[in-house]
Amino acid sequence: MNRRAFVRSGALALLALGTPPEFLTRSLLANPQGAARKKTLICIFQRGAVDGLNMVVPFGDAAYYEKRRSIAVAAPTRSAAGAALDLNGFFGLHPELQPLHDLFRRNELAVIHAVGSPHPTRSHFEAQDFMESATPGEKTTRDGWLNRVLGDTCAQCSGRSLADGSAHAADHLAGQVAMASGALALRGIAMGAELPHALRGRQPALAISDLAQFGVAGGRQADFQKLYDREAGTVLGSAADGAFEAMRILKSANPLQYRPASGVQYPAGQFGRALSQVAQLIKSGVGVEIAFVDIDGWDTHQAQGGAQGRLAARLRELGRGMRALYDDLGDHMADVVVLTMSEFGRTVAENGSGGTDHGHANCMFVAGGGVQGGKVLGEWPGLAAEQLYEGRDLAVTTDFRDVFAEIAARQLGARNLEKVFPGFAADRARWRGVLA
Amino acid sequence: MKIRPIVLLLLLAAAPAGAQQASVTHVTHLLARATYGVRPADVAVVQRSGIAPWLEEQLHPERIADDVVTTRLRQFTTLDLSIPELAERFPTGKQARDTSMAANPRRILIELVAAKLLRASQSNRQLEEVMTDFWFNHFNVFWAKGPLRYMVADYEQRAIRPYVFGSFYDMLKATAQHPAMLVYLDNATSNARRGINENYARELLELHTLGVDGGYTQKDVQEVARAFTGWTVQRRDGVRFVFAPRLHDDGAKVVLGHALPAGRGRADGEAVLRILARHPATAHHIARQLIERFVTDEPPADYINEIADVFLKTDGDLRAVTRALFTSPRFYNAPYINTKVKTPFELVASALRVTDSDLRAPGTLLQTLRSLGELPYTEQAPTGFPASSADWVNSGAMLARINFGIAFAQRSGDRQLSMTLGAPAFQMK
Repeated sequence: MNRRAFVRSGALALLALGTPPEFLTRSLLANPQGAARKKTLICIFQRGAVDGLNMVVPFGDAAYYEKRRSIAVAAPTRSAAGAALDLNGFFGLHPELQPLHDLFRRNELAVIHAVGSPHPTRSHFEAQDFMESATPGEKTTRDGWLNRVLGDTCAQCSGRSLADGSAHAADHLAGQVAMASGALALRGIAMGAELPHALRGRQPALAISDLAQFGVAGGRQADFQKLYDREAGTVLGSAADGAFEAMRILKSANPLQYRPASGVQYPAGQFGRALSQVAQLIKSGVGVEIAFVDIDGWDTHQAQGGAQGRLAARLRELGRGMRALYDDLGDHMADVVVLTMSEFGRTVAENGSGGTDHGHANCMFVAGGGVQGGKVLGEWPGLAAEQLYEGRDLAVTTDFRDVFAEIAARQLGARNLEKVFPGFAADRARWRGVLA
Repeated sequence: MKIRPIVLLLLLAAAPAGAQQASVTHVTHLLARATYGVRPADVAVVQRSGIAPWLEEQLHPERIADDVVTTRLRQFTTLDLSIPELAERFPTGKQARDTSMAANPRRILIELVAAKLLRASQSNRQLEEVMTDFWFNHFNVFWAKGPLRYMVADYEQRAIRPYVFGSFYDMLKATAQHPAMLVYLDNATSNARRGINENYARELLELHTLGVDGGYTQKDVQEVARAFTGWTVQRRDGVRFVFAPRLHDDGAKVVLGHALPAGRGRADGEAVLRILARHPATAHHIARQLIERFVTDEPPADYINEIADVFLKTDGDLRAVTRALFTSPRFYNAPYINTKVKTPFELVASALRVTDSDLRAPGTLLQTLRSLGELPYTEQAPTGFPASSADWVNSGAMLARINFGIAFAQRSGDRQLSMTLGAPAFQMK
């Protein structure tokens, strides 16, 4: 049956029964009775390859200071400002990440160091692609790992096309209450104009530039919906279909009514705005399971600075943004995990321009109420010449897919990890234990 | 009421049924890809002249009169200013606090984008415009990185546009020696004594020439970076490329198996560019990119080989390469017709072009382009904007496209126009 006809006839039937459909919609979507609150993953992608060695400083490794004469961050001291913030006597946070230091001390933030890809590429776009498809070395993977997680965690949606997936959303709405823990169109969202590779695939996912602008101008939705309904099954038709579906849900849940918690101030700019809107969506209970936010400007080949300077300014925005999100979400953080990632690390030695070139292993943050925090996880391979990857870069001791797999399974409930991570034998023994 | 938009769509798509359908289809397909929007009148013109003569004319833009556009471009006064003049008139940082909005550097960007929209929508030299866009994107630089805001207009006019139907080597060298590229990919600060900077060397191999699978190694990247040490920018009396011997690594190098003897100074970099410009991997990489942008999201091997052969046989003559791209029978394969999604810039430019609209309130169009994800000159990554349809279609983007159509039509007071511009057919090319 045609989905729209089904939805419409369903609504008519409800009208005949005297039940206001809007009320039904709201109760189904906003507060599923008795259902557990949604578990959510918020991914932050630091595009451009952040210098993980200055983000989480291995001040206990003497080689760090030998190879970074002008850009090193000083080891923690009691008095000096501008020094690293001690985590465990060996690693310290960059001083501009002060807002995250509290979370670490509250055991709600974990660091995984020397994490990365088994593939040697130092190309930004290739490495980003591999990280988002989670199939390093395999360029033909069209869908992203997060989209595959969505497919695996909603059995009814799995293997269906976008259009069919929407029909399934209609099922959610049409009274299959047990399933109605969220709306399909908003399970996976990216803040921005483009849908990142990580979220592309068969499951519906949505890119939102600005929640306040998310709608058809001038009340013309019906006109255009008719126009695009004729395109059902095409790429454009499916994309528009997802948009109309999401609009309907957002209209009823009205996420813009949620203001940041008192005292919370997001950093100015795109990143802060994106995070504040992710918080609004989560608070409005529209069923977001995966949110994806980009923050760029990390490709610091030149004059990156140390405790202060160009990289420090980017880290300030990252740290303040993550902390604002954390405080804004408050109690919700019990069900939320925030994960940062970046395509590769940067050279251990600084280059001739006071910057760093493309390297290998990097560092990730995992934050949330359920996180086994207060630890720097993973083995430290060392920065001495003979310990480096290809004689120049931090070696990888944790495959990034082991981190993704643990979070997919323990946070989002993925079961078929061999489907989410094709060609990769997920092995719990290798998981770093970021989640209980 | 329901019929009108459909009729309009047919007119705009210019694909009526009839005896000449095949030829109309081909002409429309060519115009959809090689210009910024299919106008019914143009279809008729090209039908009369034939595809080959039209293409030949377009391949020689200097032979095409374009007075209207030239005159209209004069309103954008920043375009003619030199790099130091722009820096003086539109200061950033501390000096900028005392200046008025008229001296805000953002005005440079507004004029740059407005000029690009004006040319795209009204120039008679359409192929030159789309190829300038393609090659700028291929050798992408980012307007907002430091002093690049003063350099990007000059870069497009001097390093890209003059060569789009010239030699690939010449364009490669012009980009390598332009201050915008030297600053954007940091080669200006690469220094044999303090340490090389690999940024330009890597993107030169990966993006500008060989391609990521072009068979180079990390060692090659480092050797190329050594070869380019000393290629930097001088800022006294003008801002321009200079070779600084004291920054150069004068030792012997080996690049892709070619030995570069010691002590050759500036000739090192030029030798590398020559090796790269003639490399078969470069020919294939460029062919693939051209086909992906202008023909299909999945370039087939035989088509890539066909265009790469022309590239190699003509030593990178981009007029011959472009001609081959659009005259190959493969270009007119039925499955390619009407199957690529317009990029946001193409969408906006084609709306202006097919409605023959003047460029009013360019600031609003800038906002639209930004929210759609393709504000020209502002892509930060050296990869440039993506060319494949999948990158530009998602649920949020569809709303933004529909809303663009509504807003655009509102300005002209034509409600039906919004149904045309916002319709699925208008998103395709």
